[in-house]
Amino acid sequence: MKIGSKFIRLICGLCLTVVALNTHAEQQGVVDLAYPAHAYLSDTQTRLLVEETVSQEKYTQKSAAAMETRNDFKEPLFTGAKAHQYLGLATLVAAAATALNPAGGGCEGAGCNVQTKPPRDTNGTHAQLAKVTGVLAVATVITGLITHWDDFALEDGWADPDNLHVLLGVTGAAAMVYAINKSANSTTPVSHAGIAELGAAAMAIGVRLTW
Amino acid sequence: MIVKMKSKIGALMAGTLMLVYNAASAESFFEWATTFTRTKGVQPVMNTQYLTECGACHFAYQPALLPARSWETLLDGKALNKHFGVDAGLEKDTLQIIRDYATANAAENSFYKLARKVVSETTAGEAPLRISELRFIKRKHHSLTDDMAKNNEAVKSLSNCNACHTQANTGVFDEDTILIPNLPSE
Repeated sequence: MKIGSKFIRLICGLCLTVVALNTHAEQQGVVDLAYPAHAYLSDTQTRLLVEETVSQEKYTQKSAAAMETRNDFKEPLFTGAKAHQYLGLATLVAAAATALNPAGGGCEGAGCNVQTKPPRDTNGTHAQLAKVTGVLAVATVITGLITHWDDFALEDGWADPDNLHVLLGVTGAAAMVYAINKSANSTTPVSHAGIAELGAAAMAIGVRLTW
Repeated sequence: MIVKMKSKIGALMAGTLMLVYNAASAESFFEWATTFTRTKGVQPVMNTQYLTECGACHFAYQPALLPARSWETLLDGKALNKHFGVDAGLEKDTLQIIRDYATANAAENSFYKLARKVVSETTAGEAPLRISELRFIKRKHHSLTDDMAKNNEAVKSLSNCNACHTQANTGVFDEDTILIPNLPSE
């Protein structure tokens, strides 16, 4: 009961954060930045001018220059977006590792006969991996909200890949955390694999949508 | 029982996704779904004539940044004679090649993320003629001051993508790849 209300509060908190950040993004998005194209064309040789005065060789050079990669820029090794990306991938790896290391059946609670069946292992490889997965999933959601808050906007609709990414990522993470809580705080072995795997699948699809 | 339910849910999710994305990119979905290649931005321009002709005056915008309807309007023979206030007329054959390339690779024919965002925004309503008019593009640039863009000699306009997006020519517009020129170091 206590765990259930904690989980509901966590979900409510996440939802409120998403809505708050979205409202903030919309408020700041009212600036009209559609500058006229001739603002730069006035300083650039027009197509007509190119045809009349510039040789074909220079013309080709110019077009090549327009598409060349800037070499005065070095991409930073570590950024918020990269942290989010790595955490997301790590979550999927950890989730897969958790699924591949199932906990033993075990025996616990009233009526448990430890003579015939070993007690339930609540701190084994599966449990540890699951906890790591949960922490990574929450960290992924938090870094995503911080670094990509302006990619999410309800006005773009739910077909928008960024909105779907947020929806699937947050739902997936919540489902995995719920499954971990459900099992970790139960006095008897409970079925939780379905919801956890569904959460991991949702997160994996969310990642692919914006990869 | 549980296994059956799981496979049903999995099949349902996969089916829904396939339906959603088949609608946007019928031929590319399988390729998109089965590759680890990053498709976050837009597909780079692969047509030499498009690069040469459009790139002669401005950044050769990737066709997937606008829907086909927009390219049809922009690359009309008469419209090109008054292309944002400039005569950008082309030979008939060249124009045909460029228009065919642009419409064949327009947003709705691409499975890249930015293209899907463009489709999602432009399905209803009039076809936009400027990429900088797209809502999500405006939102992403909301924090730019006049000193960063309009009054910046090396930028001047949002339409000058590759002034700041250092990998724009490869179709990558990530924030991590931005370098605004002429900005005083902090």
